[in-house]
Amino acid sequence: MSTSQVIVAGIAAEWMDNPTSAVNDEARQRAEDAALAALVDQYAGALYRVAFSVLRNQADAEDAVQEAFVRVLRHRDTLGEVRDHRVWLIRIVWNIVLDRKRRAKTRPETDDVADLARVLPMKGLSAEEQAAAAQHHAHVLACLDQLPAKERQVMMLSAFEELSSVEIAEVLEISESSVRSRLFRARNLMAGLLDHERSLR
Amino acid sequence: MSSNPRDPMASETTSVSASVFTPTEETLRLIASLPAPEGLEDRVHAALNAMPRKSRVLAWPRALRAESGWMRGAAAAAIVFVVAGGGWGVYTRVESTQMEQNQPAKVIVMPARMPSTGGLQGAGAMRPPVTLPGPAAPQPAKIGPAKAKAAKKPVASRKSGGVRARPSAATN
Repeated sequence: MSTSQVIVAGIAAEWMDNPTSAVNDEARQRAEDAALAALVDQYAGALYRVAFSVLRNQADAEDAVQEAFVRVLRHRDTLGEVRDHRVWLIRIVWNIVLDRKRRAKTRPETDDVADLARVLPMKGLSAEEQAAAAQHHAHVLACLDQLPAKERQVMMLSAFEELSSVEIAEVLEISESSVRSRLFRARNLMAGLLDHERSLR
Repeated sequence: MSSNPRDPMASETTSVSASVFTPTEETLRLIASLPAPEGLEDRVHAALNAMPRKSRVLAWPRALRAESGWMRGAAAAAIVFVVAGGGWGVYTRVESTQMEQNQPAKVIVMPARMPSTGGLQGAGAMRPPVTLPGPAAPQPAKIGPAKAKAAKKPVASRKSGGVRARPSAATN
C-alpha cells in the first residue's frame, strides 16, 4: 500500500469510526491536504510522462498535471472511495491531455515530432548517430500519428512500464481483451506503415 | 523484457510488457522514461495552494448541523408527519366520495322530443336533430288591371306626352 493510500485510508477510517463529531472541519481539511500533497509527491512524475507522451510539449504537460491535481482538489471528498489512486490519476490526466490534443487540432499542426526526437536521450552515440536516431524517432512518431486513435492510445499507454494491461483497460474504460486486440492491430499496422515508408525510400 | 514492478503477476498475465519491442515501442518507451522537470511537484503544490478553498457562505450553527442527533430526529418526524398527513387527506376524500355513492342515484329527465314539422323525415334515425321551421316567404299583394297597366307603361312615353302638351298651351 502506498503512502498516499495509507493516509487517505486513515482519514476514511477515522471518519467512519466517529462520523458524528470529534473530527472538526479544519482537522479534516488538513488531513485531506496532507493526502493530496502525498499524491502530488508520489505521482506527479508519472502523470507528467503520460501527459508528455501525448502532448509532446513540456509546458503543456506540466499544465495538464496541474489541472489534474486541481480536479482532484475539487473532488477530494471522494479520495477515500478511490481504490487505486495511481490508475485513477492517470485516467484523469489522460482525459485532460486527450481533450487538449483534440482542441489543439483546430490549430495548425506544429513540428512537434522533430522537436521531441531531439529531446529524447541518446547517450553514448556519436553526433551522426544521434542525428540518425533523432530522424528515426521522428519517422516512427509520424507513423504512429497515422494510426487510428484507439490503437494509438493503447500503444502509447503500453509503453509505460508501470501500467499492466488490466490497468490500461481501466484507464481507457474498456476490457482487457480489447486492450490486447487493439495492441495487436496497432503493432501490425505500425509494421506495415514502417515497411511502406522504408520501401518508398 | 520488462515486467510490472508493482504487480508480480503482471508478467504472467499480460502480453503487453512481455513482448519483443518493435521500433515504435522503443521510441515510446524512451518518451515514457523521460524524467519529469525539476521542481514539478513544487509548482503543483504552489498551484494547489493558490486555489481558493471551498468555503461555506452560510455556516450552520453547531446545534443545527447534520451531525446533531436531534436535528435528524426532527427531520425524520417532519417527513413522517407530511407523509401521514397526505395519506390521511387522501383517505378521507375517498371515504366521503363513497358515502355519496351510497345515496340513491339521481334520475335525469330527458327533454321531450319535439315533433318534426319540416317536410324531411328522420329516415328511421334513433335521435333525429330537433329543427326549427324555416322563415316563411311573404306573399305578393294583388294589384288591379288599371294600376297594372299604368305600372307597365314605359317611362319614356310618359315624358314625351308631357312635352306635347306645352305647345298647345302656348297657342292658347
